[in-house]
Amino acid sequence: MKKLYFVMALLIVASMILTACGAGAPSAEDCTKEEVFCVGLVTDVGKINDKSFNQSAWEGVQKSQADGVADVVQFIETADAKDYAKNIAQFGDAGYDVIVTVGFGLGEATDAAAATYPNVRFIGVDQFQAETVAGVSGLNFPEDNAGFLVGALAAAMSESHKIGAVCGTDVVPPVWRFGEGYKAGAAYADGMNGTTTEVFVVYHSDVGFDKTFTDPEWGAQTAKSMMDQGADAIFGCGGLTGNGAVTAAAQAGAYGIGVDTDQYLTLPEAAPRMLSSAMKLITPGVADLIAATKDGSIADGNVFGAAGYAPFHDLDSEVPAEVKAMMEEINTGLLDGSIKTNVPPVKP
Amino acid sequence: MQSEKQSNSLTRQVIQSISDASLVPFLAILTAVVVGGVIIAFVGGDPLLAYRGLIQGSFGSTKALSETAVWATPYIFAGLAVALAFKGGLFNIGAEGQLAVGAVASSLIGYALPEWLGYDLPAIIHLPLAIIFGILMGGLWAGIVGWLKAYTGGHEVINTIMMNYIALNTTSFLLNGVMKDRSPTNVIARTPLIADSARIPPLFEGLRVHWGFILALLVAFLIWWLLNKTTLGFQIRTVGLNPDAAKYAGINVKRIIILTMVLSGMLAGMAGTIEVTGLNYRHELGFSIGYGYDAIAIALLGKSHPLGVVLSAFLFAAMRNGATRMQFLTQMPVDLISMLQAFILLFVAADAIVRYIYRIKSKGERVVLTRGWGG
Repeated sequence: MKKLYFVMALLIVASMILTACGAGAPSAEDCTKEEVFCVGLVTDVGKINDKSFNQSAWEGVQKSQADGVADVVQFIETADAKDYAKNIAQFGDAGYDVIVTVGFGLGEATDAAAATYPNVRFIGVDQFQAETVAGVSGLNFPEDNAGFLVGALAAAMSESHKIGAVCGTDVVPPVWRFGEGYKAGAAYADGMNGTTTEVFVVYHSDVGFDKTFTDPEWGAQTAKSMMDQGADAIFGCGGLTGNGAVTAAAQAGAYGIGVDTDQYLTLPEAAPRMLSSAMKLITPGVADLIAATKDGSIADGNVFGAAGYAPFHDLDSEVPAEVKAMMEEINTGLLDGSIKTNVPPVKP
Repeated sequence: MQSEKQSNSLTRQVIQSISDASLVPFLAILTAVVVGGVIIAFVGGDPLLAYRGLIQGSFGSTKALSETAVWATPYIFAGLAVALAFKGGLFNIGAEGQLAVGAVASSLIGYALPEWLGYDLPAIIHLPLAIIFGILMGGLWAGIVGWLKAYTGGHEVINTIMMNYIALNTTSFLLNGVMKDRSPTNVIARTPLIADSARIPPLFEGLRVHWGFILALLVAFLIWWLLNKTTLGFQIRTVGLNPDAAKYAGINVKRIIILTMVLSGMLAGMAGTIEVTGLNYRHELGFSIGYGYDAIAIALLGKSHPLGVVLSAFLFAAMRNGATRMQFLTQMPVDLISMLQAFILLFVAADAIVRYIYRIKSKGERVVLTRGWGG
């Protein structure tokens, strides 16, 4: 028994000492006060550091704190889809002013919570609002612009003047807009540079939803057949299928182009040949909407963030200065509206 | 006099056996909490605040209590499923798949039956149909493994794992295909919402805890009764302890093996069914992940006794539920909860560690959880 007490005492003392060294927790208890502006974020089933949507959205929340907009910021990771409502309620009950929910999966729970907490502003990242719900702003992104940017980049960088895109099913509107934007962007760059680029865009529409985004083998095969036809830049848009295509392209020495977030960080096998990624700029989008909530200018319904392209990373030295200048010019044009992709919201 | 003395010593024996049985799990939990606290402190968190959050989040308010019960409901069913199989000497790793099959089956009845019939059913018919169909499919799914074990000797551990793959991939196929919610904006692999008539009503207005929770407690009692007060239960336990002896005693061992798996699968199917009809009102790929594996832990911690299963289901439910609050207060990752659970299990499974730390002498027979390979 003596040994037992000794062990217990040792553990307790150890935990006390270590506690004293630990950092104090941020206080969420003041959020019921009107003057304290609090922002909470609920992830989709996944981690806060997923190098994808969850992380980008959380960085947006952190940015709003760094900018002095939000006083208290906090996140909750969802472990099970049935906890969406509970996790949102955690912030709602604590008197938070803004609750950011990340991903389409939380759409229904977000709409329901908006009715329960009428004083809270909900920002639904990637939640397209088919109907406007009071208190909910859906943050969406112009995928066609993102596709346009990387399409122009691929066309400008291609030496064979043949580029490809391997996408998921075109039944999903955002995927279709990525692909069509890519074509339009390549055509625009051709117009600027006086080149003629052949663009192969293949949608994986021949299989069901269970397969279309999770078929890296098919993605790799399709990318290879495009490269056999001479393509030297491959844009992968469509989950694991696209990742398979990008990885195959990179391993064959062609340029790979990622989607949604900067995939240089998430696809290490493809990173050395990762030219760029068609990005949804979630971080500034979230931060802007939080700021708009504070100054009262935010609206219900769909809000559109900006698209962008990821840094060139390892290939930065390979990209000529005039291509970099062209990309800046196109990006500015898309942002101020002087350049249009002319891609409709859904496939006609 | 004689009989009084006997009953006295019997009472004492019962108390003794309960405290014996719960001593190691209790100390295992305590040790895990202390070790977990040290780890929290080590990564720069505040263990007291973390545990305060855990308790607040699981028991601190009516809402928290309700959510703990919500988590406990499928855990009790699935835990009983694994425990019952253990009693019969079978290791059912397939609760995960049986649960998914049950969930898919009852959501199908829940949303599609009124469409097929062309008219709405009253809840008194529709709800039991949805639940029973889910239970039966779970039982069938596990029964296949029982049959293979009884007649071909195929080991249930391997076969339940394989059946999990089949079940989960079939679920994914159905939820992305014919059973997918066809509403225009939906991109998620999920079924449509089930009809109101197939939903279990909540126990209290405004809280998510539903009558399925009461049902879970009743079923736990029923399983205790079945195992300890019926011939079938005796046969199951006998086969579990020694199938050869059971055979010589005239028990149809093959029949009991199949029956045990079917009953186990029915309980696991019930766990899936109850989540669909009582809580989520649909099945979705993101729902109920890992409950079948948590159930193994729950059955082990509860020493395969129905009351033990209910208690350990509550412990796991409280940890899962309180994790949100814990994370809210400390920003510690939710993985910590999984780690804590793993520690508890480690100390329960390797009870020699606990016995060594606390200097407890081992006494009495070992609990037979499952027979070895090819047993």
